[in-house]
Amino acid sequence: MTATVTTPGPRRARVLRKKAVLGKKAVLPWLFLAPGLLLALVFKFLPMGKGVWLSFFDVRPFLGDQWVGLDNYTRVLTDHRFQDAIGHTLVLGIGMSLGGIVAGFLLALLLEGQARSLKIIRTAVFLPVVTATAVVGEMWRLMYYPTSDGLINSGLGLLGLGPVPYLDNPDTALWATMAMGIWMLAPYNMVIILAGLAGVDRSLYEAAAMDGVSLWQRLRHITLPAIRPALGIVLTLAAIRGLRVFTEVYVLTGGGPAGSTDVWMTRAYTLGFSRNDIGGASAASVLLLCVTLLLTVTVNYFRKRGDVR
Amino acid sequence: MRDRRRCIDMRLRRGRRLAAALATSGLLFGTAACGSGSGSARAGDPNTLEVWTRSDPDSAQTYKRVFAAFTEKTGIKIDYQPVMNFDQQLQSRASTKDLPDVMINDTALMGSYQGQGLLKPVTPASIAGHGEITAKSWSSTVGRDGRHYGIPYSRQAMTLFVRKDWREKLGLPQPKTWQDTLALAKAFATRDPDGDGKRDTYGMVVPGSAQNGYVAWWGASWLWQGGVRIVEKEGTGYRPAMDSAAALRTVTWMKDNLFCGDNGVIQPSALTSVTANTTNFQDGNAGMYLTGPYNISTFDKALGKATYEVLPAPAGPAGNDVLADGENIYFGARTGKAKQEQALAAFLISPEGQTLAMTGDHQPVVRIPVNSTLDAAKVRGDARWSVVQKAYEDDSQQFPNAPDWAPIKQDTADSLNALFTYCGSDVKAGLKELNDTLAGDLKDQDLLK
Repeated sequence: MTATVTTPGPRRARVLRKKAVLGKKAVLPWLFLAPGLLLALVFKFLPMGKGVWLSFFDVRPFLGDQWVGLDNYTRVLTDHRFQDAIGHTLVLGIGMSLGGIVAGFLLALLLEGQARSLKIIRTAVFLPVVTATAVVGEMWRLMYYPTSDGLINSGLGLLGLGPVPYLDNPDTALWATMAMGIWMLAPYNMVIILAGLAGVDRSLYEAAAMDGVSLWQRLRHITLPAIRPALGIVLTLAAIRGLRVFTEVYVLTGGGPAGSTDVWMTRAYTLGFSRNDIGGASAASVLLLCVTLLLTVTVNYFRKRGDVR
Repeated sequence: MRDRRRCIDMRLRRGRRLAAALATSGLLFGTAACGSGSGSARAGDPNTLEVWTRSDPDSAQTYKRVFAAFTEKTGIKIDYQPVMNFDQQLQSRASTKDLPDVMINDTALMGSYQGQGLLKPVTPASIAGHGEITAKSWSSTVGRDGRHYGIPYSRQAMTLFVRKDWREKLGLPQPKTWQDTLALAKAFATRDPDGDGKRDTYGMVVPGSAQNGYVAWWGASWLWQGGVRIVEKEGTGYRPAMDSAAALRTVTWMKDNLFCGDNGVIQPSALTSVTANTTNFQDGNAGMYLTGPYNISTFDKALGKATYEVLPAPAGPAGNDVLADGENIYFGARTGKAKQEQALAAFLISPEGQTLAMTGDHQPVVRIPVNSTLDAAKVRGDARWSVVQKAYEDDSQQFPNAPDWAPIKQDTADSLNALFTYCGSDVKAGLKELNDTLAGDLKDQDLLK
């Protein structure tokens, strides 16, 4: 556009040139975005669209799919095992998210600083995040082993407490799964909160120290308000990730015992691949997508409102 | 199912529980190794057959040897794909309407595949050597419309693996009945058969998770022995049969004595165990395992031939029938290479093809030969296989092959796992509910009578 100002000429030519430059400017970013968009289209949006489409069919790839309207949705929503699974998902999602945030916050407070030893510990604490969930699950399964051979139970044995069947008791299995989830989530949250903590104005701490405030007051009135943006990000991520828990449960308990750890996605997986009901599984997944979307938008709304205030 | 289990078995086989980290990081590599390439169909070449089997790399070596012999004999080339996540891959190929020409997979999947229209019907007479397969084996490939949809390839039946050294040390006889088995299991759990002074052994190994229907797969033999059928044929359809008095008696017995009985009769993690992480028998801390003969080579390596014995399953109130299953050869629908496919099937069921698949350095892919001129124990030079062959021929029941069995197995497993988990549960009400669910499954398939 600056070119049009520096080189005056006939009005018509100027308009044409302006158009060409504008066109180029409009196209260029899209050109740069194209590879990424194309990949997203082929590997994300088309399969997603296909999933939505399939959720209205009785899927029989070789005989021709049959349109069943909303049948898959009503079937999924009225299935009592699915309703149970939704309950477990909510408990697990909320528990893991909040637990992960609290644990991450505590870890961040403990491990904030520049010392070399802290860096090493931070790296060690972060390891669960970079380990494949399937591997973590298998490790915890062995740690939870319900006899004195299991790591946790051998520790309890030293205290004179009997072996606890963490995963094989329907009353404890969900909580045991949650503990593992928190162990995996907390370090990731820790890193985000650490970044937030680094931005806290040190002079505020000094002023507070001079005023003689308690530790709790310092946390409540200085630290927490200062890291609110970081907490917002952590909360948004939790809302997105909380409900789609799958691998942890699949590896640890497979949804058992007696379906006590069955969650939304393990139920959908069972529908799709154990019962060959692809339509039902698609409907379940679409429902999860909608709920997750709604949850994310809600969390974002409250975050923005909080920021404005 | 078995090959997938074995693949995971291999990955997870381990001596010490606390060496978890090593074993599990190995899992990652194992997963990669057991995965498969994408199906590159050379559909254009009429002289090449694309063949899929559900196999881990070790079994795939045996298949490769078999197919090489076939190519040498007939000149027909084989584009061989060992596939671990068979059904997911098959679904994606089905959506492109281009199936592999020949597939070798579980017998219990036939109803499901036929229901989806994935299979070509087979005329037994069109397969050279079809007379060498017994009528019992052929009858297991009849679909809903009375036509055959598969060719029997390998069969197996469950047998009881028992730690012989432990049993002899405690001076107890081979178990012949459920009561014997229970008494032996209790002795293994309480009388320190491994002599280390600790109570760290268990009577019996149970893969009791509902995941992929395992508890129904393992429990089927017990149900058969109690005189229970999950569904019963009636006219042209089926009706659910899990509300019978026999079912109530059998499931109650299993719950009270195995899952809610004395500590240690079964391994403590039974309710969430699938076969892949049920390694107590080969780890040397459990004394019995009712399972398939594909484990023989694993146990030989882990425990040694002399330490354990292969016995017919102990009898329940209604006999000692066990679950039989195996693999069939399936022809993909609309592939148009009938002659070549028939030639391959004829070779695979011939004495030569079956013997090749039962022997060699790698995991054998034929357990009990379907070719009646062969004897598993003689071909292998191992008398233990005659126990398995006899169990298959005389005392075994397959899952019904015509219905889509997947939902029925899954629902049965969900229900049994729940009943066994809650020791105070009302078995009668639980089985009634299961029966209604099974009726729904059959109704969905238009098979309910």
